[in-house]
Amino acid sequence: MHSLKSLLVAATALAGLVLPTLALPASAETLTIWSRSGQGDTLEAVAKAYDDTHADKVSIVTLPVDEFVQKYATAIAAGTAPDAVSLDLIHTPAFAQAGQLEDLTDWAKSLPYFEALSPAHLSVGTYHGRIYGLPLTTETSVLAWNKDLFARAGLDPEKGPKTWAEWKADAAKVTALGGDSRGFYFSGACGGCFIFTFTPLIWASGGDILADEGAKATLDTPQLRGAVDFYRSLVAGGMVPASARTDTGPDFLSIVGGRIGLQSIGASQIGVLINKYPNVHFGVTLIPGPDGGTSSFVGGNNIVVTKGAKSVKAVEAFMAYVYSLEGQRLMVSHGSLPARSDIAAEAMKGQDPRYDVAVAAIKVGRTPYSPVFNDIINSPNGPWAQMVNAAIFGSDPAAAIKDGQARMQDIIDAAR
Amino acid sequence: MSVTSLPTAAVAASRPKGRRRRRRDLVGLLYVLPAMALVLVFFIVPIGMTAWMSLHNWPLLGLPRFIGLRNYERLWSDAGFWASLRFTLVYTGVATVAIFAVAFPLALLVEKPRPLASLLRTAFFLPVVVGFATAALLWVWLLNTDSGLFSPALQALGITPQRINILGTFDTAFAAIVAMVVWKVAGFTMILLMTGLQGIPADIVEAARIDHAGPLQRFRFITLPLMRRTLGLALILCITGSMLAFDQFYIMVAGGPGNQTLTAVYWIFNQSFVSFRLGYGAALSIVLLAILLVLSLGQLWLLRDREDAR
Repeated sequence: MHSLKSLLVAATALAGLVLPTLALPASAETLTIWSRSGQGDTLEAVAKAYDDTHADKVSIVTLPVDEFVQKYATAIAAGTAPDAVSLDLIHTPAFAQAGQLEDLTDWAKSLPYFEALSPAHLSVGTYHGRIYGLPLTTETSVLAWNKDLFARAGLDPEKGPKTWAEWKADAAKVTALGGDSRGFYFSGACGGCFIFTFTPLIWASGGDILADEGAKATLDTPQLRGAVDFYRSLVAGGMVPASARTDTGPDFLSIVGGRIGLQSIGASQIGVLINKYPNVHFGVTLIPGPDGGTSSFVGGNNIVVTKGAKSVKAVEAFMAYVYSLEGQRLMVSHGSLPARSDIAAEAMKGQDPRYDVAVAAIKVGRTPYSPVFNDIINSPNGPWAQMVNAAIFGSDPAAAIKDGQARMQDIIDAAR
Repeated sequence: MSVTSLPTAAVAASRPKGRRRRRRDLVGLLYVLPAMALVLVFFIVPIGMTAWMSLHNWPLLGLPRFIGLRNYERLWSDAGFWASLRFTLVYTGVATVAIFAVAFPLALLVEKPRPLASLLRTAFFLPVVVGFATAALLWVWLLNTDSGLFSPALQALGITPQRINILGTFDTAFAAIVAMVVWKVAGFTMILLMTGLQGIPADIVEAARIDHAGPLQRFRFITLPLMRRTLGLALILCITGSMLAFDQFYIMVAGGPGNQTLTAVYWIFNQSFVSFRLGYGAALSIVLLAILLVLSLGQLWLLRDREDAR
């Protein structure tokens, strides 16, 4: 028994050698925060500014977005999870339900600006009346268009589409330019991308995909069928590159290539486009409904504290800096929208005017609620990703939607 | 007197010999102990833990609960698992045939010392040293509709009217993955078969030639039977590897299109780390292990040395 234990210790030590970043516990003065990839450099920038002005240090560890939930969950199970995590806000209910997060209610309510914190983040950060997650970074989905391509196609380069009909007409004209130009792009095999860019079409039509706090799947609705038909017509019109069908996410930001007329993007990517692709001249507008009306997915990350964390005070100190005007300004200049509405205008001062569209999206936007979000929405083999892909690219959309509805409800019921 | 003294003498004589043998056994045991410890820690204990976990409702987060054989009962009616297993068997069949169809001619080509033989050997073996995940990522790029190699090439050659998304439909995606696996693995099988070929004594082949056996007859009656053990090893490695396929399907198509390329291991991975049902995933793993065991035993029986059996 003793030798077995020492062998296990040796094995753990060996694993520690192989995975130093994952297994090293956070030391007293350095707060380690896990973050998912594809989120720009917002957190790194804030952490650096914090390090420069504070005695405590914050170290940001970035993990691949596709494996983030698994990695955090396995780290919790192994007892090697970091004290704080920048968690995709959508997964807060799952971890709160599993009892793996510290209750932050008292601290949150003691913040003088508590009422001004992003309601979308708090809605998914709250489980059974207690608060487990607070807004860290914020982003919304908006529709971007390439101004140069619009001009070449004879469209007004300063005017984005306001209805689905305009959207389709614009995409058709850009496609008609010929060559490699295509009117529209979306990652067609990526559940996470679809929830971010495609559900706003359903919401703007007055529908929704989940009801009763995530207890009921509502996929088989006229609103979802309408949005699917709209995307189908774009694909059928040859306005979408053939590669879209199998893109599981790596090519999400295809508009940077300069050959895509329109594409839904995230607010954080506005900064990426401005800073890294100055040759792509683009405008952004709210994602429209069929005949006007708009919506957006309010996403981003919640700060959560792992159950049993040692340095809760360090997290609180860091978050106080994040929520300060200085911190909020810094976040905004690195692609995140402000988390506090009371100082949002001040924090946004001097920013690119295209961010105003992304901020306006917060008001019309929504965030779905489900404790099994990873299972039903994000998994490439889950019902949402499968259903949307089959409905848009397959031969029988009605059957695909019915099938997706049944499968999603099965998973929700099985988890209860 | 002499009658009774004989056995006593024998016993007395055998005693130090037995002690020596026992000591020799102990030394041998000492030598294999490190290997046994490795097997124990990295094989027996994990399998034991997997079996123990399979008897629990074991969520990734939260506390496990003992539920006996309920995971195995549920598994029985899990259509997704059986579908993935069926696909895995189809894939294993196709991939194994394809790999041998490519590797055997290659082995015959590079077996004898001839000009360029070692260059060809190295060239065919090179993909083997690339990791499976790396190779899959490379092929993802090669297969990309817009920026890859195959689709634009097919269009430029006039074979397809426009660029097609090779990974977009099951048939083409499956063919592309099998092609990638053959490219990646055939070199290894080639080397195995080559050593088998080189192990055939030249005088037997010479004798057959003197008896006017044609090349095909020599292959059928000399080469194949004498390579039985090598073939068995190559076949077991190939089939086991294919039955456990995961990387290429995860990286290249994420189980798509339409979840049609979910392999058994992929299903287990999803149950364990997407749905967080570790206990159920463990039960599936045990079943897959049993299936692999049966498959391997079957192959060993088929390829057994008939002479030994007689």
